[in-house]
Amino acid sequence: MSALELHNISKNFGAIQALNDVSLSIEPGEVYGLMGDNGAGKSTLVKVIAGNFPPSAGEVFISGQKVEFHKPIDAQRAGIEVVYQDLAICDNLSAASNVFLGREPIRQFGPLKVVDYAFMRKRTGELFSRLKSETRPRDLVRRMSGGQRQAVAIARALLTEARIVLMDEPTAAISVRQVAEVLNLIRQLRDHGIAVVLISHRMPDVFEVADKVAVLRRGRLVAAKKASDTSPEEVTGLITGAIEAV
Amino acid sequence: MQKKDLGLAVLIIVVGAIVYLRNPLFLSPINLGNTANLIGLFGLFAIGQGFVIMTGGIDLSVGSVIALLGVLFVDMVGKLGVPWPVAVAVIIALGALMGLAHGLLITRFKMQPFVVTLCGLLIYRGVARGYTAEATAGFPFGASFPQLEWLTIGRSFGMPHSFIAMVLVAVVMWLVLHRSVFGRHLYAVGKNEEAARFSGIKTGFVITSAYVICSVLAAIAAIYFAMFTKSVQPSSHGNFYELYAIAAAVLGGFSLRGGEGSIVGVVLGAVLLQELQNLVNLLGIPSSLNFAVMGTVILLGVLADQQFAAYRARKRAAQALERLQFEEGHAHERA
Repeated sequence: MSALELHNISKNFGAIQALNDVSLSIEPGEVYGLMGDNGAGKSTLVKVIAGNFPPSAGEVFISGQKVEFHKPIDAQRAGIEVVYQDLAICDNLSAASNVFLGREPIRQFGPLKVVDYAFMRKRTGELFSRLKSETRPRDLVRRMSGGQRQAVAIARALLTEARIVLMDEPTAAISVRQVAEVLNLIRQLRDHGIAVVLISHRMPDVFEVADKVAVLRRGRLVAAKKASDTSPEEVTGLITGAIEAV
Repeated sequence: MQKKDLGLAVLIIVVGAIVYLRNPLFLSPINLGNTANLIGLFGLFAIGQGFVIMTGGIDLSVGSVIALLGVLFVDMVGKLGVPWPVAVAVIIALGALMGLAHGLLITRFKMQPFVVTLCGLLIYRGVARGYTAEATAGFPFGASFPQLEWLTIGRSFGMPHSFIAMVLVAVVMWLVLHRSVFGRHLYAVGKNEEAARFSGIKTGFVITSAYVICSVLAAIAAIYFAMFTKSVQPSSHGNFYELYAIAAAVLGGFSLRGGEGSIVGVVLGAVLLQELQNLVNLLGIPSSLNFAVMGTVILLGVLADQQFAAYRARKRAAQALERLQFEEGHAHERA
């Protein structure tokens, strides 16, 4: 059964048609590269899946179940996590605090409800070792490399046992050395049976990890095929419109 | 206790030692008691200011809140004969309402904290002066409220109760800021409100709560100040107190950009400010230079702290580079 299915999704903002009849299906343990030029509708599609706003038409299915999201929290409860481009994490907190932000475990001492730091650190340490990352739970995010920050953001997704992780340009703002680290993290997620949607401008990164590639152009899905059946040249043609559709 | 707090504690001890060497009266029980009383009074609302600054905001209305609520408290208890426990409850409720108003204007109506609380500063001061028609509010001659006086200006074992109240408030607020889920969210909202919202935190609630805490502590301080001065002169009572609170928080390691700071820090900041006041008095420096001394110490303190932090960051970067080069050297050897 598909982890995520989109049936004929359309979204318009007034007269602007941001998404036009997009259908996709993503299997568990699959990395789906979502490509397209600026304004092609990638972010709109991600926001529809993440529950930031409902589609104007079309249906979303998760593990075969039809879902309707009104708020991001609805999508989160359904097992969808988003790793944002600008990394929605707080510099002034430790890795563990960030992983548990908004869902802190508490221990009760009589009337006192106290944040359970020990549990947070232990659980975060387990998540990092699952991701084979050397990030330490106690370290402040401020002092971390771009790759380690990604590990923190991805550990957040693992914590909620997410089934679908949407990643918006995870390799845009980091050094070449750290890109390899992030791509490894994506493989780790895949190996845990999580469906990963990878939105990226960077062709080599997508072809290195993606099993399938989808291309959006001006709100339409112009291609959705196995990465092994296509090439960076073809995808570039599809993005720019040099190749009409396949 | 963080490194910053430790540094501040050392500074307090060093300054204290110097003052003591110049004038041994510094450690006399009377002087210590009086200074502790002032630390308690100013510490109470400085802690509240810390919560607001933690969100990246600022509360400029604290001094005027202390004046207005002080006038109302004295009037209620002294003139209208309201039982003092009722009056205390009313004053604290009014403080909560003021904080709620500030918080909602900032979070719901997207106004800037500086503007909202600056208007608060003007409005509350104006209302206090208008309500009393510029007359000083005081208790009637010979009036006495033994329990209320014991709670506010009384002493146990030479320790002023205002100081004890501040310590109790500090302990509770330490639990709130450093051990509760709300405290975690406060740090997150202060540094990166958007990230906090994406994490499902109700950022509007967190920010509004910080303003409520600030005004409630200002209301409690208002009662202590009113009982300490016994009469409230509406145009001068509590003037500039918000700046003392901001100064204490900044000295205590709070960043006006939000997301940084600790309760221990702001309390130590309040201690240092009162120690400096005391220094001016004891060392025979003209008291007109009071503010100049305070300003200079804060300026130098923050400057030194930042230079030290920059130095540590450089050192860390150098170490990391060294490690990297070392690793690469090994990789080359293996290759």
